Amino acid sequence: MTASRRLQKELIDIRASGMKSFRDIQVDESNVLSWQGLIVPDNPPFNKGAFRIEITFPAEYPFKPPRINFKTKIYHPNIDEKGQVCLPIISAENWKPATKTDQVIQALVALVNDPEPEHPLRAELAEEYLKDRKKFVKNAEDFTKKHSEKRPSD
Amino acid sequence: MDPEEPFQQPLVPVSGSANGFYQLSVTIECAHLKHSGSIWKPNPYVELLVDNSNPRKTEVLKCTYIPKWKEEFTVLVTPYSTLHYRLLDHSTFRKDNVFGEKRVSMYDVLLPFNGRCNNLELTLDLVSEPKVDSQGQPAGQPVKVGELITLLHGLKVDMNALIHHRRHELPRAPSNPAAAAVAVADGNPPPPPPPVGATPSASVLRGGVRARIRPGGGGGGTVAELPAPTTVPPAANGSSAGAGPPPVTNGSAGPEVAAATNGNSAAPAAANGLEDPLPSGWEMRYDEYGRRYYVDHNTRSTSWERPQALPVGWEMRRDPRGRIYYVDHNTRTTTWQRPNSERLQHYQQWQGERAHVMQQGNQRFLYPHQQANAAAAAAAAAAVAGAASTSGGGATAPAAVADTTSGASLPPAVGVTAPAGSGATAEDEDALLGPLPSGWEKRVQPEGRVYFVNHKNRTTQWEDPRTQGQERAELLTGVDEPPLPPGWEIRLTEDGVRYFGVYGVPRAYERSFRWKLSQFRYLCQSNVLPSHIKITVSRQTLFEDSYHQIMRLPAYELRRRLYIIFRGEEGLDYGGVSREWFFLLSHEVLNPMYCLFEYANKNNYSLQINPASYALYHGRFIYSGFTMPFYKRMLNKKLTMKDIESIDPEFYNSLVWIRDNNIDECGLELFFSVDFGNFGQVIHHELREGGDKVRVAEDNKDDYLRLMTEWRMTRGIEEQTKAFLDGFNEVVPLEWLKYFDERELELMLCGMQEIDVDDWQRNTIYRHYTRNSKQVLWFWQFVRQTDSEKRARLLQFVTGTCRVPVGGFAELMGSNGPQRFCIEKVGKETWLPRSHTCFNRLDLPPYKSYDQMVEKLNYAIEETEGFGQE
Repeated sequence: MTASRRLQKELIDIRASGMKSFRDIQVDESNVLSWQGLIVPDNPPFNKGAFRIEITFPAEYPFKPPRINFKTKIYHPNIDEKGQVCLPIISAENWKPATKTDQVIQALVALVNDPEPEHPLRAELAEEYLKDRKKFVKNAEDFTKKHSEKRPSD
Repeated sequence: MDPEEPFQQPLVPVSGSANGFYQLSVTIECAHLKHSGSIWKPNPYVELLVDNSNPRKTEVLKCTYIPKWKEEFTVLVTPYSTLHYRLLDHSTFRKDNVFGEKRVSMYDVLLPFNGRCNNLELTLDLVSEPKVDSQGQPAGQPVKVGELITLLHGLKVDMNALIHHRRHELPRAPSNPAAAAVAVADGNPPPPPPPVGATPSASVLRGGVRARIRPGGGGGGTVAELPAPTTVPPAANGSSAGAGPPPVTNGSAGPEVAAATNGNSAAPAAANGLEDPLPSGWEMRYDEYGRRYYVDHNTRSTSWERPQALPVGWEMRRDPRGRIYYVDHNTRTTTWQRPNSERLQHYQQWQGERAHVMQQGNQRFLYPHQQANAAAAAAAAAAVAGAASTSGGGATAPAAVADTTSGASLPPAVGVTAPAGSGATAEDEDALLGPLPSGWEKRVQPEGRVYFVNHKNRTTQWEDPRTQGQERAELLTGVDEPPLPPGWEIRLTEDGVRYFGVYGVPRAYERSFRWKLSQFRYLCQSNVLPSHIKITVSRQTLFEDSYHQIMRLPAYELRRRLYIIFRGEEGLDYGGVSREWFFLLSHEVLNPMYCLFEYANKNNYSLQINPASYALYHGRFIYSGFTMPFYKRMLNKKLTMKDIESIDPEFYNSLVWIRDNNIDECGLELFFSVDFGNFGQVIHHELREGGDKVRVAEDNKDDYLRLMTEWRMTRGIEEQTKAFLDGFNEVVPLEWLKYFDERELELMLCGMQEIDVDDWQRNTIYRHYTRNSKQVLWFWQFVRQTDSEKRARLLQFVTGTCRVPVGGFAELMGSNGPQRFCIEKVGKETWLPRSHTCFNRLDLPPYKSYDQMVEKLNYAIEETEGFGQE
């Protein structure tokens, strides 16, 4: 079907490209509309762990954008307690049917590495990030150590 | 009724429990508040939270220490829920203040009443929590500030099952849930109680809850059986020891987990690796793309969603024709739809709106009724045999009739029974004014509004005849024409037809709506047939009664004057009863259990026909409107890609992107086919024969876009739309509508509401303007000075509909959820204002003067056909 055909191709391309920052991609063979994978950030304080995300595609994909959800807790101004993330590239206003999932993931990894406190989902963390960076880094590091998943060894 | 025989009309709403949730009706009755010492009386309203979420609010009452609301809410609770009542004092200028509050643990209420809540009256001590000082310590003791009376009704929980379940720890999966619905309680473990300490603020003033079963209520004989302790044990707060439920160790289905499924019903159950076995007759299969789906051999239908066991008290049965239906023994009702938590949730929400529905019905208007006593007319009805596609449902349809002649701001008809006890203030008033003139009677609507019946000439009105005198009565009887409002004049058209105009308004505009309306009404009136059709309905089965009686009539009969009788309510239909009936019926068809309609997009007050629906109808004023493209269809206008924007802006944006970009190099992987999800089914459609094999490319994309546009607009509802239009046409020739454009059609069908400009302004945001910008001040000046019609049309111009959501402007919805009204500075003074209906945004150029703005706004509102909107 429309969505599945496109997604099968995207999946093959992503797996072939060997992204370093998005690993361990799991797609339930019964449902190609739902993906899971590990975000592996490079920048401190999030480079102490890895974060599992779920990408859900609507039946009308690519006419409608996918949605992303963090399964691993993360101390981040742009990701809320429920794991929701506000990513402009998949917002209703900006979505284009030509946008590929690997671009979405790259945008997400960039956001995790460099928070955007100007558009926070968690205002208190954004404030801490802007006013007391040291404290933010420490808190985020502790939180990452406590909650995140192990980074792949290779 | 013979319990073995299937009900004849299995189209009744249901209620019950799913996943350990039960429906509970909570009525907020009244409160007595202590005088605060302030010179200002409070403006109290009550907010009810169940387990700290899903707040429901009563109306704000002005300046009183003894507020009476009598508002009923239906909520979903578990036996371990906490009901949190907060009484707030509304303030126009600052944040609303909590006057007092109380938390009530359901378990503590259920225990002494053996799991039953029927006509259970609770008197709650409202407590004001002390402020917290800088050390985080409460400064002082909580204080009792008043009492709140609330009524719980309609809940029955098998306490033994709860306790039994707790002893065994592990839930037993029912082997045959469909046949043994009552046993399902064991398969749906009730959520554990909230953790101790979750409600720390409730610990100080324990108790403070008095309960009694109200005698003589609707509960009937069952009341007597109940043990009737007069007070709840002092452990009325969740965290108390003694009577509290035993702790649960596994915590597998906490309230949070259960609640999450409501918001995200598609969440795969497989995620947690704990799947209940499928109900009998169900099977799991994989489609050709490897996706999992479920086959229900009972009903021969399929679903993406894993079926849930039936809620407690539900049973699946088969009618003599072999069709499956579901019996809810809790409410003794039946439905074709298999109940699931999402649908019950929708049902609850739909039911919650009911209180507001009649209120709105009486607030809507078009114009002062110039012919209130006119012989009435008929309008449309439509009915359809629907495809028995998904749910194996039958194929029959409701229809309705419209009485389009008189305006709608009349009070209810003579037949509405008034509730007892209309309040002390009204009686004082009566003492002052003396008795009513002979032939007059004073009545009260269910929501408390007083109106007056003139039995001599069979009319009703809001105004008190003792203070309004004869002037108003004459107006209503139509003996004399009322004087024109200031600024109005009578004009003649070229062919000598009289119409009304406003000084200084160009004729081209004035001719538009009011003139068209009078022409339309004239056509209706001159085609009225003599005598009445009588329709007798009971309020409980309004939909079926109306449906069966109307479907027996040939279409032309529906042009007779309608005469509606509500069973058990003596009274004469002078127009008001049928108005009430239309409004109620049009809300009734939205009952999610009927699945007749689906909401267009996430916009919560606009409808499109549900592909699985049977019918549609049209009303005098209908509760909810249709989508703009649907009105265009009624007018037989060609639909364009642009029309998709209002029903699905995301989809529209993607179409535009494909149109405006070269798509050959960007790997879209599109073919001439399309998928969409409907009731958990994915429907696959080839846009042309063999479309699955034809790739979309730059040289054939125009064709593709055209096919996609057509498909998206009609998507499975072609048959129903045609049936609707055919039915409509039989009563009101569609030809008669030719005067109107789609916007005017919406105004005519839904009527206008008096718009609360303060609320509108309060809930407006600005971009590149501030609330004090000159242009912004002018804009609000214009809104306040203009008439109601223009105001409604301005709103329609910006938001796509002239209707305000039930909760006011704060709940205005955009294409992606809540979206407040927004005014943005865009362009130059020579530009016209533009609107973005999916974002509720008005692009207002920085005009140089008030007059210039008024001119441009007027022009944009009236001449939007074809441009001005994005």
